Amino acid sequence: MLDPFQLPFVQRGLLELLILSIPAGLLGTWIVLRGLAFFSHAVGTAAFPGLVLADGLGFAAPLGAFGAAVAFSAGTAVVARRRPGDQDSLTAMVLVGCLAIGVILASDVFRSGSNVETLLFGSLLLIDGRDIALAAAAAAASLGAAVLFGRRWLAAGFDPTAAKSVGAGAPYLQIALLGLIALATTAALSVIGALLVAALFVVPSATARLWTSRMLSWQISSVVLVAVEGTAGLWLSVKTNAPPGATIATLSGAVFALAAAARAMPRPGRRTCLSAAVAAVAFLVAGCSSVASNDSGKLQVVATTTQIGDFVREVGGNAVAVDQILQPNTDPHEYEPRPSDIEGAAGAKLVFANGDDLDAWIDQVVSESGSEARIVDLGAAVPVKLPGESSGAEASRYDAHWWHDPRNAEAAVEEIRRALIEAEPSNAAEFRRNADAYLGKLRALDRGIAKCMDSVPATQRKLVTDHDAFGYFAKRYGITVVGAVIPSQTTQAQPSAKDVSDLVNLIEREGVTAVFPESSVSPKLAETIAHETGASSDHTLYGDTLGSKDSSGATYLQMEAANADAMVQGFSGGKRSCSIHGIG
Amino acid sequence: MNRAAASHEVDGGPLIRATSDRDVLAEAAGLTVGYGGVAAIENVSFRVRRGERIALLGPNGGGKTTLLRSITGEADRISGSLRVSASWATVPQTERSRLDYPVSALDVAVMGSLASLPWWRQPGRRERAAALQALERVGMVKLAGATFGELSAGQRQRVLIARGLVQDAGLLLLDEPFTGLDASSSDRLETLIGALATEERGILIATHDLEQARRWDLVVCLNRRQIAFGPPGEVLNLAVLEATYGGAIVAIPDSGGLGILPPHHHHQS
Amino acid sequence: MIGPFSDPVMQRALVEATLVGVCGGALGCWVIFYGLSYASESLAHGLFPGLVAAALLGLPLVLGAGVGLVAAALAVAVASRVPGVGRNVAVAVVVTSLFGLGVLLALSPASPPGIQALLFGDVLGANDADLALSGALALGIVGALWLLHGRLLAVGFDRDFARSLGVSAAAADAAVLTLLAGAILVGVQGMGNLLVVAVLIGPAATARQLSSRMAPMMLLSVAVAALAGAAGLCLSYYAGTAAGASIAAALVAAYLAAAFGRRSRLPITVEEVP
Repeated sequence: MLDPFQLPFVQRGLLELLILSIPAGLLGTWIVLRGLAFFSHAVGTAAFPGLVLADGLGFAAPLGAFGAAVAFSAGTAVVARRRPGDQDSLTAMVLVGCLAIGVILASDVFRSGSNVETLLFGSLLLIDGRDIALAAAAAAASLGAAVLFGRRWLAAGFDPTAAKSVGAGAPYLQIALLGLIALATTAALSVIGALLVAALFVVPSATARLWTSRMLSWQISSVVLVAVEGTAGLWLSVKTNAPPGATIATLSGAVFALAAAARAMPRPGRRTCLSAAVAAVAFLVAGCSSVASNDSGKLQVVATTTQIGDFVREVGGNAVAVDQILQPNTDPHEYEPRPSDIEGAAGAKLVFANGDDLDAWIDQVVSESGSEARIVDLGAAVPVKLPGESSGAEASRYDAHWWHDPRNAEAAVEEIRRALIEAEPSNAAEFRRNADAYLGKLRALDRGIAKCMDSVPATQRKLVTDHDAFGYFAKRYGITVVGAVIPSQTTQAQPSAKDVSDLVNLIEREGVTAVFPESSVSPKLAETIAHETGASSDHTLYGDTLGSKDSSGATYLQMEAANADAMVQGFSGGKRSCSIHGIG
Repeated sequence: MNRAAASHEVDGGPLIRATSDRDVLAEAAGLTVGYGGVAAIENVSFRVRRGERIALLGPNGGGKTTLLRSITGEADRISGSLRVSASWATVPQTERSRLDYPVSALDVAVMGSLASLPWWRQPGRRERAAALQALERVGMVKLAGATFGELSAGQRQRVLIARGLVQDAGLLLLDEPFTGLDASSSDRLETLIGALATEERGILIATHDLEQARRWDLVVCLNRRQIAFGPPGEVLNLAVLEATYGGAIVAIPDSGGLGILPPHHHHQS
Repeated sequence: MIGPFSDPVMQRALVEATLVGVCGGALGCWVIFYGLSYASESLAHGLFPGLVAAALLGLPLVLGAGVGLVAAALAVAVASRVPGVGRNVAVAVVVTSLFGLGVLLALSPASPPGIQALLFGDVLGANDADLALSGALALGIVGALWLLHGRLLAVGFDRDFARSLGVSAAAADAAVLTLLAGAILVGVQGMGNLLVVAVLIGPAATARQLSSRMAPMMLLSVAVAALAGAAGLCLSYYAGTAAGASIAAALVAAYLAAAFGRRSRLPITVEEVP
């Protein structure tokens, strides 16, 4: 069993959390005392447009986030000066403005935002020296400001009117506090994410508030509590293979609930309550710390996507243990590597990747794990390549969904065979035998799909889906891609009324009979559009990933056959279907 | 009733009189109240009868507001007994009511009618008429349509009293009603309080102003515990005041009376 | 040249935007005066565990989301009664822990992918079932606000006095929070989770600049919400911008126009800093 804190990225995360505990604990007490919880949350969420801008224009994400946070704070201050009144509704209005700008930038200007997802939720892997430096700067600034301004902040919080008369109501004091919160929140984004910032900045301080009545002891216990909850949450998250932000949030929420319940209880009951809580936590930890054992003696191989995992299992047979990172139905564009992926990579000899920027995070996973594994970029080995998107989150030279052309799958399987034989020559015969059998099925699949498609007149083969994943499939089998419901983007992006209206007109003009929602994306908009145009939306396609084990797309062969069947049924208005032989 | 109380002040007789039980609006005996199990005032015993105007006198932090809150049920009773046998209405310090709230003086007065309406009923024409009548009574009917937050401090006090009248509360709880009022507003409010007492209502007035306290029928001196209870002429002597104000008492040479040094701020953290 | 609303998708979007506007506009006034701005922004994230639980149990997602939201709202009401914990801190504690819990639950292999996306809608994606649900909830919210108007007004004005009327401030808080949960359920299906706060705060904050009585303020707020919905959809149609964000932008514009476009009229404002 690998101790979590031996992994270098976990150590960096721990260091970041421990440094952050200083500004989070110190500022947290002021946030609770001065009623700034909404502001501290909003300033993190308002970083959204800054992140989109940073992503689109290609500058550092923390810079974008901090810029947006400063703009947000300034906006709040300006509106508050001009229109004094309920601070919270002003904060909300400025936040709405920031979010609207962010969504429009992501949807209509840059058509991007993949990094945005990670920063809304945070990722341990994203932490680098810059983040730690930023956190250290926030810690130093908060310490300095707490010493310099602490008394005045306390006076202003206690009695705003009286504070004015003793010079503690000066605007610079409020600005210093808001600015510090903006800085510290930005520094925390990368580890915990914008939506969970309060787990570090509000919840521990609120918990400590329940037990302390003096400012100094409150501040010290807040800092300690953030550090303890952060460390425990990080340890738990590595053990349970969960995102750190969510684990820390749940843990600190539970601690708060226990503290509040214990306080509400009569004194004799407290001890029982406390010991019950400790027992529950111990039980939880013990239950979580079981780690899946590795198949020993086999060749350890990592595959990034579900279809590559399928290929490798087919070729490797029993001689290879495949650690497949993406699970069925997860969107590879939004994937955040987990601690177990890094542990898996640590013991692997070979890593098979899709390439073309679909799984660019694998390089970091491998380097974090300290593994010597060779990364095999299958995308570089396939013969048929289509140009990719010119800009945005999925910008790359080539369209990354190459596996939807079975000829590319054949080339990938051949490449896998070559790499496996090289890594373990003793099993060469088995790898060759497996690969030959599978290549035969892939050719049968290709012929079968082509035959099915020929049964539909070329003018009826018009594809409308909600993701541009089927370029290779369409090119191979003479299908016209008429349009996409949602151009590939972050899930926070939205289509415009014009896009939807145009698409409806296009579908009607072209006589498209079916709209195909993709299995791993919300089908709602596609369904509405289909309903509106009288097209069918009953047939789902497998785009980026295989389906779950008992679905019709559990393997690559089944997935492509199911896609072909769905399209034939959709194109022909349900009159025809497609079943392919020789692949079972 | 008011006359009875006044005469009894002149007589200087014993406080306990033979009155029927239904005249007692609230009665505390050995009452200790506080928040979260921690006592804020201890051992309070007093009685409010119809028509009595009673001052709660004490320094800031002495427990005046806590005592009012024990009647409204916001502060926890720790020991002793408290019996409130009349409906009560609070007239809070105006700072505690929101000045930016979107209501008119009439809207505020109408709120008093909710006490007698079942929860699904909205105040109607009858309730508005009652509210207007109450505003008339406090001399605010001309400003019935004005936004509450735009009224002066004294006018707001009177509107809040009208709200209590619409509610037909037997017991009015006024928390520092004279703070921030100019002389003419104070006089007006004082007259109004006197008139309300003649309507058989009991009125509790929290104040830290010794001169104010002298004008009412009875006074409860509080400083974390009850120091004294009785007619001002009897109980407001140097010993009681020293115990109440903790030594910040000076004899005022010109008037021959007693005064209190400017209140020292006891900040609760 | 055909107008934007000749298209059934746009017509439905307009109906959905109006229904969301009715809920958000009417309730928003109470949200502001009950100090629930933060809750209205964040409660949408608190529905997550309910949503995942419904998916795991095979119940309808909307039901799970609704139960999750009401539970989150009531948890906020309870937590804000803990001494030393204000309303906003309670929101932060409850929403953060529930959202974290939801993320952890969603790691279960049995939970469907992109589960939040399954619920969070788009104003252009509204189908008949969405419209029916929004309509029913809007009716319920407006009806409840009508019934409770006097009491909500009294509690919001003076919580202590409300006790003397036999009106429980805690019950009023719970009522407003529960209604807020309903409005958010409508809002997330129409506007997505990020922008639902726009319809809850924008119209009310605008109307507040223009009116100093509750009832007219609520009517004005609903009108602002409906107009901004139509204007945002037109903007989205002609300028090709994201639909929900365009509605939000129209609301921000309305607010700025109202806040900066007139002379200061509020004479005094009391800053309530703890």
